[in-house]
Amino acid sequence: MPQQRFPKIEILQIAPHYIQFILSETDTSMANALRRIMIAEVPTLAIDLVEYAENSSVLNDEYIAHRLGLIPIRFMAEGSLKGGDCHTAFLPHQECVCYDRCPRCSVEFELDVNFDKYNQTRPEQERDLSLTVTSRNLISNNMLVSPAHFLNEEEQDESHDEGISIVKLGPGQHLKLKAIARMGISKEHAKWCPVAVATYRFWPEITINQEACSMLTLEQKQELVEACPDRILELDEITGNLVAVENAYEMATFTEDLKVAQNAMKKRPEDDDFVKVVQSQDRFVFSVESTGAMDAEEILMSSLRVLKDKLNYLAAEVEKLKD
Amino acid sequence: MNAPERSAAFILDDDEEKIEYAADTKVSNAGTFTLNKEDHTMSNLLRMQLLRDPQVKFAGYMHPHPLVHKIHLKIQTTTSQVAPAETLSAAIEDLSNETDHLITQVTDAIEKWKRENDTGMMGM
Ligand SMILES: [Zn+2]
Repeated sequence: MPQQRFPKIEILQIAPHYIQFILSETDTSMANALRRIMIAEVPTLAIDLVEYAENSSVLNDEYIAHRLGLIPIRFMAEGSLKGGDCHTAFLPHQECVCYDRCPRCSVEFELDVNFDKYNQTRPEQERDLSLTVTSRNLISNNMLVSPAHFLNEEEQDESHDEGISIVKLGPGQHLKLKAIARMGISKEHAKWCPVAVATYRFWPEITINQEACSMLTLEQKQELVEACPDRILELDEITGNLVAVENAYEMATFTEDLKVAQNAMKKRPEDDDFVKVVQSQDRFVFSVESTGAMDAEEILMSSLRVLKDKLNYLAAEVEKLKD
Repeated sequence: MNAPERSAAFILDDDEEKIEYAADTKVSNAGTFTLNKEDHTMSNLLRMQLLRDPQVKFAGYMHPHPLVHKIHLKIQTTTSQVAPAETLSAAIEDLSNETDHLITQVTDAIEKWKRENDTGMMGM
């Protein structure tokens, strides 16, 4: 007897780096599974191996390798402008049959910055300044893969930097290396995590008992509006009725003050509440913010794909067990 | 020095099966599945889905230790006619269908949003 549910999705907002949506008609176990998969099991690319030819910078090899690892690496499928799911294009290096590495399981970046050489190309008045090596200096050997220098164009316009800073070089210093990016998941290391934020909150169900509220004076209603620190209530300009504000769902957090205030207004303690706010158990507001490695909507799609793959795998294993 | 590989959290060891089953010796129609290299993500999902099945009398999971990457999932069914493995299969299938449904829901919702909010992101 199938116990299947048919959840619903409503999009509230999409930007390349951000998505907000409502998941409903399912329970926390599904919401939480999706959240956990987005954080820990959506595969991305990240620099995992660095070969140094020369490093005379002030930072040691390990320090720079760590910084390189944390740079978000974006994969864009051919003809697409979106940071997409890289799992169709790459193999996890553990699964690849090659001896060390190959284009199927890795992407190579070359970086070669020599302060003295570069300084000759700078204008006279800038030659005393240090030179910042950034993610822009990483040259990829795969057209579809590049570092994500900024989250979006707005950030890029506001920034004084060229990209993500790695190290500053001074006279006589030279950094030359080859960085190898691989596909992985953030269960292994957080550098593979595609999200900066992946959270959900319970939808607040705000019920206003208009019949009970009709006993209140305008002043008392105003008092209720002000009792709520999140300002989830307002007075309707025409009718003077208490109503929930439009975006109450993203503000409602603390409602104890509202409870105290309305209990004080009741004639008898057992009277009905004027306003009731409860957490919905089957409606969730998700906010997902990308690191830049993937577009936010692609992270959501990828998390569902990962969930499906995991379920298929388990289904096959349970079948094997039955025989 | 003796730290385990980080990938040991999700890649099966050489001699490891994904799922092991041990029938309960004291309780009838019950048994414990050991899901190797799984965590709360799948186990809680499975547990909640199993609890919605009227043929399941008990379903619970345990993560024995944060550094031990396995889950013990215990299932007891209401009758001897239904094996715990059958209910587990059914739960996985329902969740699989739910995920399929979600994939189409998300695809449709994103398309709809982009149609209604022509932000110049079309074709991106
Ligand atoms: Zn390979």
